[in-house]
Amino acid sequence: MNTLIPPANALNLTSFKTWMGDDGICRTVTKELAEINLEQAMENSVAVSSLYKDRKFPLLIDARNIKYMSKEARKFFSTNGRDIKITCFGIMVKSPLSRVIGNFFMGLNKPEIPARLFDSEADALQWLKQYR
Amino acid sequence: MPFKAGNISPDNQERINKILEVIIAYAGLDFTKKTEVKGSDDDVLDAIGAGVNMLGEELQTSTISLKEKEHLLKEIHHRVKNNLQIVSSLLNLQSESIKDPALLNLVTASRNRIHSIALVHEMLYASVDLTNIEMGDYIKKLSNNIRNSLSIPGSDVQFEFEINPCFLDIDRMVPVGLILNEIITNSFKYAFPNGKGIISIGIHSLHGRYILLIKDNGVGVPAGFELEKNSNLGLQLIKILTEQINGELNINFENGFSYSITFN
Ligand SMILES: Nc1ncnc2c1ncn2[C@@H]1O[C@H](COP(=O)(O)OP(=O)(O)O)[C@@H](O)[C@H]1O
Ligand SMILES: [Mg+2]
Repeated sequence: MNTLIPPANALNLTSFKTWMGDDGICRTVTKELAEINLEQAMENSVAVSSLYKDRKFPLLIDARNIKYMSKEARKFFSTNGRDIKITCFGIMVKSPLSRVIGNFFMGLNKPEIPARLFDSEADALQWLKQYR
Repeated sequence: MPFKAGNISPDNQERINKILEVIIAYAGLDFTKKTEVKGSDDDVLDAIGAGVNMLGEELQTSTISLKEKEHLLKEIHHRVKNNLQIVSSLLNLQSESIKDPALLNLVTASRNRIHSIALVHEMLYASVDLTNIEMGDYIKKLSNNIRNSLSIPGSDVQFEFEINPCFLDIDRMVPVGLILNEIITNSFKYAFPNGKGIISIGIHSLHGRYILLIKDNGVGVPAGFELEKNSNLGLQLIKILTEQINGELNINFENGFSYSITFN
């Protein structure tokens, strides 16, 4: 299963592609070697919020290609980031680098809504579904 | 100092050394150092480097806030000391217009009590850890303050100190300071009618407890003196404050006055 291939109508941001899946789960995929600074984090937050219609939704973040996430970006995502429009988020990690970044994000910045790291897309979707 | 391990390419050895340099800089509380992360997939050294970098970023903010806390604490002690000094100056101004010696006594006593507390804050402000005060330093400063405030012109009262270093926090230093203030004040007031005498102060520690000994070689009290009947605010304060620090108080007035106070 691969539901993380951006469709043609995906929002194309500096470091992300973002869209709403047919299953009601929003997806945002980091581009190859993406560096996420505060600016990219905010851009992503605006994009995700723009997909909001009348109810909050879960978010799947594919961070497998991430290269760097600044402290400010980590803080933004975990506090004033997307928690207004989303119910929870799952982060997909794979490489050692993405795993370290993901764990830092979860451990030190303590997101205020449910959040988990996954290395299987199926597991992630399974978990996210309950928050639709 | 390169950490050599088997089977590592010179290129990776170089990268490991760079990461180690950053960790060593962190150990010296320099969190500005960063290691380069290439961002290649499946590269463990990159992951370690990125982790170390992020740790540095987090540590940098937490150490700054530690410094800020220290700054705030200093500020508080400074302000408390200043405010107490203002109260003390007000009393001083007031006392200039007081003719009644009994009232004047009362005002001076209050002023010295305030001083003994202000001294704790002043010394905490200047202390290394902002928490503990070296009791010997405190005692010497307090004694001199009291002498400056109470000794009459031409008198000669000497202090003898026998002090083992010990540190007290504010919760014990304030009551101990007030106790010392009452005892030393009494010696100045009653022990030396001819203005000559010695006040000895010692601190020792025994089995984890401190023993504070204060003694004057003054005139003492007339025969048949009953402490209970003659206790005024000073002696009452000494008793109450000793209880407050869970201490044990012994007073002896056979040759001059002597006190021993044992506390944790
Ligand atoms: N070091 C001393 N030498 C002689 N008499 C003392 C000494 N300390 C205390 N006294 C006597 O004990 C009394 C009670 O002291 P205190 O309770 O401090 O009250 P106050 O100082 O207001 O008189 C004093 O009035 C004095 O008679
Ligand atoms: Mg007295």
